[in-house]
Amino acid sequence: MRNHLPILAALVLGLLAAGPAQAQSKDIIIATASPLTGTCAQDGTAIKNGALLAADLVNRRGGINGRKIKVISEDDRSDPKDAAAVANKLTNNKEVVAVLGHYNSSCTLAGAPIYNRAKVLELSPGSSAPAVSKAGPFTARVILTDAAQGDFDAKWMVKDKGHKRIALMYENDDYGVGLKDVMVARIPAYGGEVVAAESYYMGETKDFNPSITKIRALNPDAVFICGLYNEAALIAKQSADVGWKPAFFGTDGIYSPALIALGGPAVEGVRFSGVFCADDPASHVQSYVKEFKAKFNTEAGTFDALGFDAMNWVLAAIEKAGPSRAAVQAQLRTLKVQGVTGMNAFDEHGDVKKDPLKLMVRNGKIVPAID
Amino acid sequence: MHGLQQLAQQLINGLVIGSVYSLIALGYTMVFGILGFINFAHGDVYMIGSFIGLMLLGTGAFNFATALVGAAILTGIVGIAIEKVAYRPIRQSGKGFEDTMLVSAIGVSIFLETLALIIWGTETHPMGAVLHKVSYQVGGIYISSVQLLILGLAVGLMVVLHLFVTRTVTGAAMRATAQNMMAARLMGISVDRIVSVTFAIGSVLAAIGGLLVGAYFDAVYPLMGWTAGVKAFTAAVVGGVGSIPGAMIAGVLIGLIETLGSAYISSGFRDGFAFIILILALLFFPSGIFQVRRGEGKS
Repeated sequence: MRNHLPILAALVLGLLAAGPAQAQSKDIIIATASPLTGTCAQDGTAIKNGALLAADLVNRRGGINGRKIKVISEDDRSDPKDAAAVANKLTNNKEVVAVLGHYNSSCTLAGAPIYNRAKVLELSPGSSAPAVSKAGPFTARVILTDAAQGDFDAKWMVKDKGHKRIALMYENDDYGVGLKDVMVARIPAYGGEVVAAESYYMGETKDFNPSITKIRALNPDAVFICGLYNEAALIAKQSADVGWKPAFFGTDGIYSPALIALGGPAVEGVRFSGVFCADDPASHVQSYVKEFKAKFNTEAGTFDALGFDAMNWVLAAIEKAGPSRAAVQAQLRTLKVQGVTGMNAFDEHGDVKKDPLKLMVRNGKIVPAID
Repeated sequence: MHGLQQLAQQLINGLVIGSVYSLIALGYTMVFGILGFINFAHGDVYMIGSFIGLMLLGTGAFNFATALVGAAILTGIVGIAIEKVAYRPIRQSGKGFEDTMLVSAIGVSIFLETLALIIWGTETHPMGAVLHKVSYQVGGIYISSVQLLILGLAVGLMVVLHLFVTRTVTGAAMRATAQNMMAARLMGISVDRIVSVTFAIGSVLAAIGGLLVGAYFDAVYPLMGWTAGVKAFTAAVVGGVGSIPGAMIAGVLIGLIETLGSAYISSGFRDGFAFIILILALLFFPSGIFQVRRGEGKS
């Protein structure tokens, strides 16, 4: 027995040493929840890719306290029902520290009660609907609210560009209706007038001719699109097909390389607010654009940049407060992280505060708008 | 633009989209006329036709006209193949095959959609500048060259189809098979060949509709067959399933009603109008505007 004691001691010591060492080397798990299939798959995949790149860059310099970052990605298919299922799955996985998602406002709102009950941070890179502000203390976003962007765009159109009579085209869901309501309130505040508000279904409506005919008859100064790039491209094209080229405006919802790929010459001159511009000469933006291109062989855009910023904010919070669900959420009120889409700092509702950029399509490229 | 001009403009919009619904509805109604089941995969055949056209255009060796012909032929072959693989074995297995074929059709529909998602991805593909698009103005009403092409081609094809069904021997054989399949077989008509011809014609019309719509909206995507298919199906039912003129007229009617409803009532209900019409038709004209007398002896 005495002879065995050193061996036993060594074994115990070894186990003791191995225990923490194993915990140390265990990966920190962050989840992304966005549409990877369906009509919003392009943006949803971009969010996932941006998050993957951010994790990759941290892992390349050794992770956080020697622990690697592992990203798990779930597909909510832009469907609130699927989003709730994804939220349940992710919150039940106790290793998931925080969730970057969802993309569609309807999905973020569907997941919010589940994340808030489980006390897991739901940091949305894509939901800008006003309702998300009140979704709970564990729901926050790195994308500007529609209220902030809508106000900015209303001022831009009416005050700066002198477009007094504005027609709205809006997507008939939480996102489009929320943004439409903001515009209906803010355009008159700057002295403009909303002459029409026509709705459509994202991903389903392809024939915009009835609405275009109706709006054209009212002769508006500008058309503001409360929706996403696919529909914006189709609206611009179908207007051009009948020889009508009004001034088109929108938010970062229509900012995507797909706007130009789909819209072609019809989207020349389309203006929109945004938080990211790949042509921004700032060095941190340019290095992001380069890294993104190198990893995915596609051009960087708004939603991958927002996914990248969301992941970086969470990683900074973990670095500061440790990889626990509660500690990460507690950082919302104080932690500010400079990202490629501006400064990521949050107000008491979890809404990010940053200044939008004025962007436009010129010669088939998205560039900062000078006016 | 005056109210009247706007109304005329909306009527044009409705006629154009309605004539496409008619083209697709013909495929539903012809197959129903002969086999007595709704081929729910037909909307996806329209989508496949659109993508085949897009691929032909992508090779650079085709212009729009030749791509239209090419896509029509290839999609016709796809239609024949679907019938041979998914419906014929069920049909030949005995009586009461209609319900089983319906289930098989849903399977084919899911298969085609998933296949398209795998091959072409989830995104919306632009057709590009394949047609020289010009907008004409007549008395304050705008009509584009694409709208004229769709209207002209749709009406032309429907006239040709009508002549084919009423004036040719194959057309007579189709009508005979629709009236009574067993009697047609006893009269020496090759029923299998007639069924193949029917599927081919339906698929050709769907492919042409798909390519025209792809160029009109400049958007081709894997789930495009769903909405168009449902509306064309509604047109077939409203027109009286099995009735060729019924499908043509009801398709145009649905296009007009949904365009006017969307313009003057609410754009949010746009896709709902087709279903309101469907429900009203089922309540008040359960066998459609053009009633079709169906014979016995199907097998």
